[in-house]
Amino acid sequence: MVHLSSFLLKTYHGGHIVIRLAMAGHKQSNRPFYRIVAAYNKRARDSKYIEQLGSYDPLPNIYNEKLVSINSDRIKYWMGCGAHPTKPVAKLLGLAGFFPLHPMTVTETERHRALAELAEEAAPEDGVKQQEL
Amino acid sequence: MAAFGAARCLFRSYSRVKNVDQNTGILVRCSRRMLCSAPSDSSSPDAHVKPQFLDAEVQDILTRITGLNLEKVFRPIKQELKPPKYKLMTDAQLEEAIQSAREQAQRLLKMPPVLPERKPINDVLSEDKILEGMDTAKYVFTDITFNIPHRERFIVIREPTGTLRKASWEERDRILQVYFPKEGRRLTAPPVFKEENLKVVFGQDRHEDMLDLCQVQFEPDSSEYIRVHAATYEDLEKMGKYDLLRSTRHFGGLVWYLVNARRVDGLVIDMLQKDLLQDAVSLVGLFNKVHPHSETAQEASSQQASGLDLLKIYAKRESQRAGYVELALQAYEQTSAESSV
Repeated sequence: MVHLSSFLLKTYHGGHIVIRLAMAGHKQSNRPFYRIVAAYNKRARDSKYIEQLGSYDPLPNIYNEKLVSINSDRIKYWMGCGAHPTKPVAKLLGLAGFFPLHPMTVTETERHRALAELAEEAAPEDGVKQQEL
Repeated sequence: MAAFGAARCLFRSYSRVKNVDQNTGILVRCSRRMLCSAPSDSSSPDAHVKPQFLDAEVQDILTRITGLNLEKVFRPIKQELKPPKYKLMTDAQLEEAIQSAREQAQRLLKMPPVLPERKPINDVLSEDKILEGMDTAKYVFTDITFNIPHRERFIVIREPTGTLRKASWEERDRILQVYFPKEGRRLTAPPVFKEENLKVVFGQDRHEDMLDLCQVQFEPDSSEYIRVHAATYEDLEKMGKYDLLRSTRHFGGLVWYLVNARRVDGLVIDMLQKDLLQDAVSLVGLFNKVHPHSETAQEASSQQASGLDLLKIYAKRESQRAGYVELALQAYEQTSAESSV
């Protein structure tokens, strides 16, 4: 597929730009924190990026909220320069209402619901069996 | 000697409360925008235009009543301990320095705006039933574009039920404090603002500190701000301790609250006791402007009264403690007659 960014960007780099989640190196295990970042595709996930466009905290806080910040102005600029968002970023932006809803979000919700129903059917059976025993 | 006192005050640091100018600037801009967006009263033909807090005349009267006690405005505040700086000046330079100190004091005394309580936000942007059960936590999306005013920023929440709604005012304040922190503001309100703790603080006569803290912590049109201010003004009026706020920037707010509640008695008597007759006259004038249908105002406009007559009319008609006010007026007249003779 044609990578428009190669033609639209001022300096020719040979690769294209993506908007993706990069882990902010807080050096704490089991505590992830992501930055929404515009970077060259071939760079390592956490290494030098072009610009930070927001943040995403996957662990909920005391009010049960997951905080996501989005710099809509700059995301529009980079999309205009031909940057590609990755799947997780596209899902987040779809949930935010910035993009239309990602189809995988819907599919994942359905799968999640099916699993939850299976677990519910399994749990009452276990409960009944224990009572019988 | 007074000049030396004032000059000594000059050479302490000027910043009375940090960020007060920026805060009031932003708040006044916000309040102007909100006042413009509200439906204007002048469209209805018969209603008189009710004077608002931010009208030029009202502000004029309130600034005059507040007074300008340089000693109190520039009294030492808790800050970093620096050794005092001494400068050698001629008389003319001293005059200039005192003048600039006066202007600085007037800027510090700029009143924080009094706004009506903000209406809750109940906007739902979209309902997506297909997303129900996806996650147990809410997603809060904030737009961190730099150049938008905080009031117009998009802060939307995606609930676990799939609804995408705008954040309520309390959530907005909290999230804005996370991404654009203001100095001195905390994410959760300090427990000082609960009723019982407020009473303790008022017992210690620290109303001014309380109001400053409230100014920093809450937005001026939030319910918390209005509640704390109302409680403070009630307590001040009950105790009669108007002097605590005189020559600070909260005095205008106190006067406005009392005038709107029509309980100006205590304040008038306090002013007469302290021989501030001009202030009492302007206070009654303000009362007449805000309540033009009251008996005082109508009689005053019919008689074209001014000065002491205004006070007499007020004492006759409106005040509960009329005897006291008349006594004080008589005493004032006697002393002025004696001094002129």
